Amino acid sequence: MSAEKPQETVFSVRNLWKVFGPKADRIPGSAHAGLPAGELREKTGCTAAVRDVSFDVRKGEVFVVMGLSGSGKSTLVRCLTRLIEPTSGKLSIDGEDVLAMDRARLRELRRHRAAMVFQHFGLLPHRTVLDNVAYGLEIQGLGKAQRRAKAAEVVEKVGLTGMENRRPSQLSGGQQQRVGLARALAVDPEVLLFDEPFSALDPLIRRDMQEEVIRLHREEGRTMVFITHDLSEALRLGDRIALMRDGEIVQLGTPEEIVASPADDYVRDFVRDVPREQVITVRHVMRAAEGDEAETGPAITPGATVAEAIEAVARAGSPARVMDNGRCLGVVDSDLLLGVVAGTRQEEVAA
Amino acid sequence: MTTTTSPGADTGNRKPGAASAPERRATGANFLRGTGGKLLLFAVVAGTLGAVAAATLGSGSWPAALSVDLTKPLDDVSDWIIDNRDTHPLFLYFLLHLSNTATAAVNAVYGTLVSMGALGVGVAAALVAWRAGGMGRTGLRVAATALGALAVCGLLGMWDATVLTLALMAVAVVVAAVIGALLGLGAGLSDRFDRALRPVLDTMQVLPAFAYLLPFVLIFGTGTPAALFATVIYAAPPMTRLTALGLRGAAPTVLEASASLGSSPLQRLWTARLPLARKEMFLGLNQTIMMALSMVVIAALVGAGGLGEEVYEALSTVDVGKALAAGIPIVLLAIMLDRTTGAAGEQLDAVVTDRPRLLRGWWTWAGIAVATAAAVLAGRGTGLADWPKAWTYDISQPVNVFNDSVIAQLREGLPVIGGTQVWAEHFTNWLLNPLNAGLHAMPWWLLLLLVAGFALLVGTWRTALTGVLALAAVGVMGVWPKSLNTLSQVLAGLLLTLVLGFAIGILAARVGWVERALRPLLDAMQTMPQFVYLIPVVALFAVGRSAAIIAAVVYALPAVVRITTQGLRQVDPAAMEAASSMGASGFQQLRQVQLPLARPALLLAVNQGVVLVLAVVIVGGLVGGGALGYDVVFGLSRGELGTGLVAGMAIVCLGLMLDRVTQPTAAARKDT
Amino acid sequence: MSQNKRVVKAAIATAGVCGMLALSACGAAKTGQSDQAGESGKTVKLTVPSWVGAQANVAVAQNLLENELGYKVKTQQMGEVLAWDALAKGNLDAIMEDWGHPAQEKKYIDDKKAVVKGGDLGVTGHIGWFVPKYFADKHPDVKDFRNLNKYADQLKTSESDGKGQILEGSPDYVTNDAALIKNHKLNFKPVYAGSEAAQITEIKKNVKEKKPFLTYWWTPQWLNNDIELTEVKLPEYKDGCDKDTKKITCGYPKTPLQKFLNADFAKDGGKAAQFLKNFKWTTEQQNEVAKMIAGEKMSPEAAAEKWVKENPDTWKQWIPKG
Repeated sequence: MSAEKPQETVFSVRNLWKVFGPKADRIPGSAHAGLPAGELREKTGCTAAVRDVSFDVRKGEVFVVMGLSGSGKSTLVRCLTRLIEPTSGKLSIDGEDVLAMDRARLRELRRHRAAMVFQHFGLLPHRTVLDNVAYGLEIQGLGKAQRRAKAAEVVEKVGLTGMENRRPSQLSGGQQQRVGLARALAVDPEVLLFDEPFSALDPLIRRDMQEEVIRLHREEGRTMVFITHDLSEALRLGDRIALMRDGEIVQLGTPEEIVASPADDYVRDFVRDVPREQVITVRHVMRAAEGDEAETGPAITPGATVAEAIEAVARAGSPARVMDNGRCLGVVDSDLLLGVVAGTRQEEVAA
Repeated sequence: MTTTTSPGADTGNRKPGAASAPERRATGANFLRGTGGKLLLFAVVAGTLGAVAAATLGSGSWPAALSVDLTKPLDDVSDWIIDNRDTHPLFLYFLLHLSNTATAAVNAVYGTLVSMGALGVGVAAALVAWRAGGMGRTGLRVAATALGALAVCGLLGMWDATVLTLALMAVAVVVAAVIGALLGLGAGLSDRFDRALRPVLDTMQVLPAFAYLLPFVLIFGTGTPAALFATVIYAAPPMTRLTALGLRGAAPTVLEASASLGSSPLQRLWTARLPLARKEMFLGLNQTIMMALSMVVIAALVGAGGLGEEVYEALSTVDVGKALAAGIPIVLLAIMLDRTTGAAGEQLDAVVTDRPRLLRGWWTWAGIAVATAAAVLAGRGTGLADWPKAWTYDISQPVNVFNDSVIAQLREGLPVIGGTQVWAEHFTNWLLNPLNAGLHAMPWWLLLLLVAGFALLVGTWRTALTGVLALAAVGVMGVWPKSLNTLSQVLAGLLLTLVLGFAIGILAARVGWVERALRPLLDAMQTMPQFVYLIPVVALFAVGRSAAIIAAVVYALPAVVRITTQGLRQVDPAAMEAASSMGASGFQQLRQVQLPLARPALLLAVNQGVVLVLAVVIVGGLVGGGALGYDVVFGLSRGELGTGLVAGMAIVCLGLMLDRVTQPTAAARKDT
Repeated sequence: MSQNKRVVKAAIATAGVCGMLALSACGAAKTGQSDQAGESGKTVKLTVPSWVGAQANVAVAQNLLENELGYKVKTQQMGEVLAWDALAKGNLDAIMEDWGHPAQEKKYIDDKKAVVKGGDLGVTGHIGWFVPKYFADKHPDVKDFRNLNKYADQLKTSESDGKGQILEGSPDYVTNDAALIKNHKLNFKPVYAGSEAAQITEIKKNVKEKKPFLTYWWTPQWLNNDIELTEVKLPEYKDGCDKDTKKITCGYPKTPLQKFLNADFAKDGGKAAQFLKNFKWTTEQQNEVAKMIAGEKMSPEAAAEKWVKENPDTWKQWIPKG
């Protein structure tokens, strides 16, 4: 997926804090702000779920927030539509200050601009699939016939045709999450927020659902903020990944950047078992062409992964050229590629 | 492999200060060093107080110096109300509206039912039951139950009384359900309201039905309004409690999803919270209906009319046959209403399969209305509008003959083992009288201390304090000896209940078929109004304290058996397995593993047992139970409301005391 | 959850406003409306006291009102004092047998003028203390209350706390026994059987075993034909000696039993009211019906029907002319 789209910002987050506990609003900016979680709780009785977080979500990208449980990622995503009220910081959507919105404006934001998909689906058990999907439209005040017609379209889009009249309890987990997805899509939001949507699902179904999200993103190009604790999911889906730990973003970058050059030991530890050849692209591995290398050998794009390059090199038996618009940027040979796989080579990836 | 994070844990979205609460409690515990410390401290304080009290106020019965006579002022209030009820603005502009509306509403429903005729009512009840049961096989069964129940009511010659009882019930249940749902809504949405309401509901739950009648008689006099309002107040708490429970239990994920779509609070309430609470609310409605039936029947004492009055009349002339003829319809009504609402509640979960258009939504109801109208007309045409006299069968005569021959034999004429009445006499002489005498002989301060000590042993300082204050209030009101008499009956009844209940409960928990055999019986027994239990015991044990106590035992038994069985069953199977793997015998398992682990459940059984026994021991005033219950009946029938109200308050205090003393911990509290 | 609070507040406010509107809109309520549900048309409401003699009155009156005059009769059991209140409120139309309630008569007849006298029932009642004849024959001096303490020991039961027992009936019966015991320093305790039937059961049981007992009892009573009871003499009743029921020392009067009607019913009750005023029969006649009900276990309806069939001469005089 491309990270090279026009850099229009949807969400802009600056120095965002969310602190739970007594007199929470005094923590950001105070002397306690820098304390580790345990000490902070001991001293103030407060827990900082989100600490001084800043990032931008760009239009059309899939922005993944990744972290282990308790890292504050779910709180963060809820802060974006103020399902949880941030303690301090700045937050805007399309340049509009979210924290300054009044109730009606905020409702407007939730109804039309950002819809969320939840880990535990949050479906209404007493309603049919169709009425669940139409729920957001009902909230908006749409008439019954109109919202049902629209819901039916979305139901088809997520592949639930024929199940319109079932109840959530009659569906499998994957199907239920499709309903959750359809419900969010039905309101045609500017941004889709996913809060660990697939972590309650079986691995196989999870994979299906990830494909589904990728497909939807490809078809519609909708901006997505995706929360997950699953690194491979983050790497598969994310255009950019923000890695969180104890409420802070420890690293923000493309999957490749994170895998190739972890910001600290924590991240390094985290990505240790990632099959690097699946993530790292040849752009960061190639060397300048020597001799006639620029003329011969199989051609691959700069965005091809190392794994793809290995296949090409192995088939041709010679180094591969990295070609961009007919221009040879460089070459990769088996030594370089093996070095990546073995992890002996440090790629130069700007973080 | 997928570490699912619960949203609460991840977001840290808990109440502020939740983390520090256990620590604070721990500090408190340090101070007292557990139960041992508590009791030691208590013993010191108690010893001093006891000595002082004994020295200054004397031992023996409650000191006159500490009593206040409330009877006189209450009688004055009663007189004032009688004198002013036609002129005072409070009545003209408020209370009379209430009572006139109540009477008019009941009359309207009664009038409607009467004009529908027996056939109309029967058809309507059956169709509604059928619809509630889901229009399938269950529906047919429920409909048949309803039809059969009503038919038997008619056959027994109780049609008019049944209709009046139904009319009263209908109005009372609607009002109670609406009030209960509104209060429950408040308690479900506002924490503060919930905190304020909870102790009130807890207290109301332990009060015997009898205690509710008098205040309303004081204000409204006897008649439909007093009966109706007492019923409403008595029956509303389950609806309130369960509505609040349902609203509070609504899955947070669903609510959050709803909020994330930009729903307003009202939209969220309407589209998510309330539908999610439907199941609890239905259960609440079911319980409200059952309690309303129970109360409407007892309210015969204050002129409610209907089936209860037939029972009351029969009881006061010890006419077992007639009491049975009126009691059977009550039982059948209970079964009919329970099955119908129960089936409707189950339908909430059932999945709607495709049905013909006529069997969906409003179409069904329209169909039911049309069919009912047709039945009404048919009834008029064929002369079935009133239940035909020829189709009634008076069972009181044969029952009385049976009673005088066979039952009399059972009562006294059994060789060797004596007979029920002989047992009752032994029970009175060997358990009840010594207990009663012992309580009376005990110095008042010692009894207070005993209550405090016992409450501390199982509960907390707070429960102990409430218990002692409640008992002291009984003394202050000047009904100490009578209350002790009631107390002795409750204790004797409780003892019998627990012995039987635990025995049956343990048996049922260990032997599968016993439990299976018992379950329908327990189900049926738990839906019966208290009043009904008095009928067979009067036949078997004649009138007197022992009859009232036996009725109480029978009434309390199902709950105790059920809680015991469940408690034993829920014991961690791993612990059981561990015990049997070490070669423990069945009895050892029971004694060493099951019983200790089921302790909270057993304590809860004691608590429930005591509350239920008290309720019926009080009603037992009608069959010679004497003491406080008798004072209530006396106050009602002599119009000496002062006496009755004081007794009523004493009952309330006694109920509070008994509940608090047996209340294990806040956690094990009955919460439905 | 602050949004919830707003919902709650709004709901409370709405409910409050609605309530106020509802109340202020309808102004003063109507008074004197009947509180009893389930009545319609030409219905006469009678109270059924809990003793059989009075049930006999009502059963016969009901039979005649329904069959001869075409009324519907609704009967209701309630305590005597409550019946007075109900009579004043219009929840009852008539009390057919009253044993004397001076306080209520003053309050409802003289002060509130809601109740009027309905004339004599024709039966004279008397309350007293009775022992079985076999006991009185053996101990003749028991017939004077002053000697009762001598027998307290023989008359004690498991329910009487070591004192002698005087068996009482239903709590709503007219009784001064507790005060009499106190004021004459008798070593006795009143023990309530709870109802007339329970009291009779107790008496019959004692008689069967020839045990001594002392009971609050009255005439007319159908049981007196079956069981011989002897009255224990109490200090003679004089007019007004029962004014203060706490300090009372005298026994019970001979009371000509009275009927009372609701004032409005007496005025507008038409033939039914006239019939009830006319209703008058003898102690023997009442006992005849009472015995059928209690002694022979007939239903009150059946007993009344039988009596009505056999005694047309008596009741024909009660039916209003024209």
